[in-house]
Amino acid sequence: MVKITYSENRLVVQGQLLISELENLEKILKFIDKTVMSSLEINLAAVNRIDSAGVAFLDEILERGKAKGLSVQMVHAGPHIAATIAAFSSRNLPEADSTAPPSIFENIGGWLVEVGRNTKQLLYLISDSAWFAVTGLFHKKGVRKGEFIRQSIIIGMNSFPIVALISFLVGLILALQSAAQLRIFGAGIYVADLVAISMTREMGPLMTAIVFAGRSGSAIASEIATMVVTEETDALKSMALNPVRYVLVPKIYAITLTMPLLTVLSIILGILGALVIGMAYLDIGPLPFYNEVLTVLILKDLLTGLIKSVIFAWIIVLVGAYYGFRVRGGAQGVGSATTASVVASIFLVILADSLLGLLFYFGGGADM
Amino acid sequence: MSTESLTNIIQVEDLTTGYNGRTVLQNVSMVARAHEITVILGASGCGKTTLLKNMIRLYQPWSGSIRLFGKEITDMDEPEFNHLLQNIGVLFQNGALLNSIPVSENISIPLLQHTKLPRVLIQRLVRIKLHLVGLENAGHLLPSELSGGMRKRAALARAIAMDPPLLFGDEPSAGLDPVTSAALDDLLLKLRNDLGMTILLVSHEVPSILRIADSIIFLESGRVLFCGPLKQALTAGIEEVDDFFSKGSEGRRAG
Repeated sequence: MVKITYSENRLVVQGQLLISELENLEKILKFIDKTVMSSLEINLAAVNRIDSAGVAFLDEILERGKAKGLSVQMVHAGPHIAATIAAFSSRNLPEADSTAPPSIFENIGGWLVEVGRNTKQLLYLISDSAWFAVTGLFHKKGVRKGEFIRQSIIIGMNSFPIVALISFLVGLILALQSAAQLRIFGAGIYVADLVAISMTREMGPLMTAIVFAGRSGSAIASEIATMVVTEETDALKSMALNPVRYVLVPKIYAITLTMPLLTVLSIILGILGALVIGMAYLDIGPLPFYNEVLTVLILKDLLTGLIKSVIFAWIIVLVGAYYGFRVRGGAQGVGSATTASVVASIFLVILADSLLGLLFYFGGGADM
Repeated sequence: MSTESLTNIIQVEDLTTGYNGRTVLQNVSMVARAHEITVILGASGCGKTTLLKNMIRLYQPWSGSIRLFGKEITDMDEPEFNHLLQNIGVLFQNGALLNSIPVSENISIPLLQHTKLPRVLIQRLVRIKLHLVGLENAGHLLPSELSGGMRKRAALARAIAMDPPLLFGDEPSAGLDPVTSAALDDLLLKLRNDLGMTILLVSHEVPSILRIADSIIFLESGRVLFCGPLKQALTAGIEEVDDFFSKGSEGRRAG
């Protein structure tokens, strides 16, 4: 137990000044602040144990007394108590760092500088990727053997089940929603046209890209971020290997190959989903449905979808790599980079989809 | 927690444990005496960290008894053990600081959660602990902004935030430069001498062990080869122990 009493400029502390014993100190500190005294003597003769919390408490009293202009001194501390006070005293320590929060202009300036820096980094990454992706076709050194196949399996093939399921359901839902309206006009067969065109030009590439961004984009970001945090990329540099060439380029090849393939599969499965509704709800047989799809689809539709899918693929892989390479901090940084890469790549894919939609519409005639 | 009347703060008897069916420690018995620095040492993979982690119940023993402050912890219920943990500081091998908050907040966590100290005193205590580990100017930094050695020192500051009567440390001086390592040794001695802390460390830094250890526990392939005062260990004539100390000193000199 600790007991603290005050009388005539003298504070007498008794017992054990230990962290587990110190309670209601706020009251004592306030008492020191408020009480009028000419000097203050802290008598420690009856203190038999003290730890760093006890020392901090005595220091706080001393400093508050001195701030009031009093002459404050500690007296009669036993040798062991005095040694502990000397060992843990906080009186001559520097104040904790307390920098003033930045002003709004500093924040805006800092933000602009950061945006400029990030843009520069992104442009460097894009140019490096483009350079190494092209030169890598002719020079086989600088990458791990078989990496392209391995990445194609990891990034592409492993995404197939989820892309297939989602595309089938999207086709099914599109058909179901439109069938109810078209049926009223006796135009149920046009469900095939509607789903075929929307899946080929729009939904196929877009849904594949969104699934890719969530699944493979995040994997790319977290893999590269982990490599940066654990200094693996530094190790590659020290072995005269470019991390973009060694790590990223095989992923670019893999995603450029697998994304259009998956998009084609997505289109086919979306149309199959519509066929299910056509057969079950509109009594359209598979052959009329198939003939209608072939009649309405032209090569341009497929090319539009495939061009979009390749552009989306590059957006996803570059955004993932960008966030991966600029990671800061440890495990938490990896998590933040992964989350940011998914959000940014989905946003950029949808933005690119809108821009490409406009480009194909106005650039390729109204039928696009 | 009073440690005045106890001789052995830690008492382990016939501890057997391991992972995935593989035995790591076999019938280990040891003691750590009050107000002493005891060092667990031995070759890599001999079970030093496993023994330490069993003492704070991060791993469950297969059989045997572990007594801390005279209380059996293997069958202690969760609230009682959590209360006991307030008297124990732990320094993990890689620091284990919370990465999302600054160093000073890391140190203040136990003080804010387990004491009724006013905020001004907590801030002061944080400054004291930062000063003790030589990180006065690093309180506002995030752990990710610190070097490996600084992270370890910050983690030590958090481990001693509450002035615990018992401090566990997993390789506190590994990876530190000789000057910082010596300063850390001095701090551990200061904690033992001034606050009467009982300290149990895992280490294979021979110069550091020779400087600070009162007693050692030498593990070899999951078994205790020696448990007792350092001076006795150096003269006991156990080949493995002699080899460890001579090679460790030579390695340090050669390095």
